[in-house]
Formats: sequence, C-alpha cells, structure tokens
Amino acid sequence: MIGKLNSYLSDIKQNLRLDPASEQEIISELETHAEDRLMEMQEAGLSEEEATAECLGLLGSAKLVARQIYEAHSQGTWRQALLAALPHFFFALLCALKWWNIGWLPVGLGVAIGIAVYGWCHGKPTWLFPWLGYSLLPVVITGLLLLYLPSGWAWVTILLYVPLVLLLLCYIAIRVINSDWLYSALMLLPIPSLVGWFVAAKMEDNFGGFSLKQFNEFAPWIGLSFLVLAITVAIFIRIRQRRLRFVILSVSSVLSLVIVVSAGTLGFPATLALFLLTFAFLLVPAFLDHWMRQGSHPATT
Amino acid sequence: MAARQDLLKGNIDTLLLSLVNQQPMYGYQIMRELDGRSQGYFKFKEGTLYPALHRLEKAGLLQGDWQTIASGRQRRYYSITEKGRRILVQQTEQWQDFFAAMNLIFRPRRPETQVSK
Repeated sequence: MIGKLNSYLSDIKQNLRLDPASEQEIISELETHAEDRLMEMQEAGLSEEEATAECLGLLGSAKLVARQIYEAHSQGTWRQALLAALPHFFFALLCALKWWNIGWLPVGLGVAIGIAVYGWCHGKPTWLFPWLGYSLLPVVITGLLLLYLPSGWAWVTILLYVPLVLLLLCYIAIRVINSDWLYSALMLLPIPSLVGWFVAAKMEDNFGGFSLKQFNEFAPWIGLSFLVLAITVAIFIRIRQRRLRFVILSVSSVLSLVIVVSAGTLGFPATLALFLLTFAFLLVPAFLDHWMRQGSHPATT
Repeated sequence: MAARQDLLKGNIDTLLLSLVNQQPMYGYQIMRELDGRSQGYFKFKEGTLYPALHRLEKAGLLQGDWQTIASGRQRRYYSITEKGRRILVQQTEQWQDFFAAMNLIFRPRRPETQVSK
C-alpha cells in the first residue's frame, strides 16, 4: 500500500516541472502530510489498505495538485520578465537601428554567451533560456554562412557541420527538456525567424553572393519580429498556466513568421517549410519530453 | 455544496492567514484546525491546501520553514509575515463590514408605525 502512495507522489513529481530542489521539498511536505493522515486513520481502526485508499482520495488528483502547485510557483517577477526579454529587445534594436554595421552584433552575442553560462551554472532560472537561445546563434549563423562558400564546399558544410550542430542543439535541448520542455521551446523561439530572414535575404539576392545589404533592406521588419518575441517572452514569464504559455509561444511564432513572409520574397514552398520548422521547434520538445518520461517511469501513467 | 465550495475557494486565503496568524502551523495541522473549528463545514481536497499555502508564500504573506520535531521527522511550519498581517487586517475588516451589511438585510424590518413612534 505504501507503493500506492509512492506512485501517487511520483506522479505529482513527474507533473510538477519545477527545479529539482523545489520538487523535493514539495514531495517531502506532501509525504509528511500523507503519513500523518495514514497514522491517524490506522489509529482510528482502518487497515493499511483502507487508510491508503482513503488518504489518496482525500488528497485528490495527482495531476490537479501538481498543476496547482506549478501555477503557484511558475509566475516570474517583472524583473525576471524584463531580464528574459532583454536579448530579444537588444536584437530588435540592433536590427531596427542597423547596429550590426558598427559591430554590435559580436558584442551582443558575447554578452549572451556570458549570461547564458552564468545562468546555466546558477540553477538554470527561467530568464536563462532566451539568453541560451542567442548564445547558440553564432553556431547556427556560422553554419548558414558556410552555405555561401564556393560550390562543392557547401556540401561539406551540409555533411559535416550541420550534423554536428544538430547534435549540439539536441544535447542542450534535451538537458533543457529535462527541466521543462516549454523552456526548450522558449529557447529555440528565435531560430525559425532567423532562418526565415536568411532565406528571405538570399532569395532577394537571386541566389547570388551574400552581404549585409539585403539585411539592411529588411531591418525594420526584422526588428519588429524580434520585438514580438520580446513581448512574448515577458508575457510567458508572467503567466502561470502551462496551456496559456504554449498558446502564447505558438501565436508569437506564427506572428513572427507572418512578418517574415510579409517582407514579400518567400515563395510558397519556403513559407511552408518555415511554418513546419516553427511547429517542429515547438512540438518536438514536447514529444521528446513525453518519450523521456515514459522511458524513465514505465509503471506510472 | 457547490455554493459552499465557491465560498471556500473565494476565502481560502483569509482563512489560512487567520489560522496561521494565531500560531505557526504545518499543513496537516492547518487542515485539522480548519475542519475542527468549522465543525466540518470547510471540506476540500487536502492536496489543494498546499498550492494555496505556496501561493501565499510566493506572495510574501506567509513564510515556510522546515523544523525537525521530536520523532526526528521534518515538518514545514508556516508563519505569517508583516505583509500577511496587514492584508489579513484589511480582509477581516472587509468581511466584518460585509457580514454586518448582510445581517442588516436579513433582520426583519420593523413596521414603519413603530419607527415613527
């Protein structure tokens, strides 16, 4: 019967999706409560089996309890919301004011890497994940730039560099998914837009060479798409409900892509591919999370 | 029963602050006090007590501290903070005003002739 209680507590823990230290405290608190209740019921004459069944009934649905506790803990402060939105604001400004021409891009990426490393080593707070996404950008941008190498070398990039980058992204994404798959989606949020802008700039140039000139033409639009992401992240940090968080990420991703598409250079196949990429970045973390949890807790549902 | 649940849901913060204001308590103790003092009027799923306690703690109205009791087990005791006390005073005043107004409505109206005398 104690097994039933453990299974119940494990079910709550699986659905909490908070940092490990907080999860452990919450489970210990609920366990103490259940033990007190069991002791009282057994003293009143109930068998262990009856007491456990009664106790679990009184505690209520594990998923509901986990969801309500998550909502009590998940809301970030306005300061955290601002800190999380800051990299998107910076990149919105960078684009709108064309600061990349005066070399602010490497500075911004350097700061993003520094802050991401600091956050990663200090308990992975919620504000970390947008910074983490930007700290991966140099890797992605290098891959995209390598595609512009003379013919023949692009294949080397596709065959060697891209798989390595995907491996790195998967490793980090899986580590983040272990905390919460929504954070992984939050981290990957700007990548589809960025890929979209690169593709749009390339198409604008009729598949010729590559220069910042094309980006300058799109600068206000790129700035706007990053501003949408900044507002999204701030709202994400402030709202409590998981479903609403997913909805806000989806809406924002679609809105950012609509901005990319409205720049007018993407054809239907490229637009469709970008939308698929966006939803893959949103949904793959959720499927991976489901798969990993099933693998680690085969007995629980 | 549903109306009672709604009333409880709307006032759970005041009830918890009021109980913890009298002395620091742990979750199970709060549940027992709530049940005993209300003579079984306030019944709800025990697991939902903790989200409410944690929400009040996050809002800075309660503070939770782990304490080891004689048997060696650990319990998380909640105590009220200064901010919590201020909010409780406000909420208690609101309740008393509401209760007084409700009583005035419930009380049978005296005939006007008697009033004029």
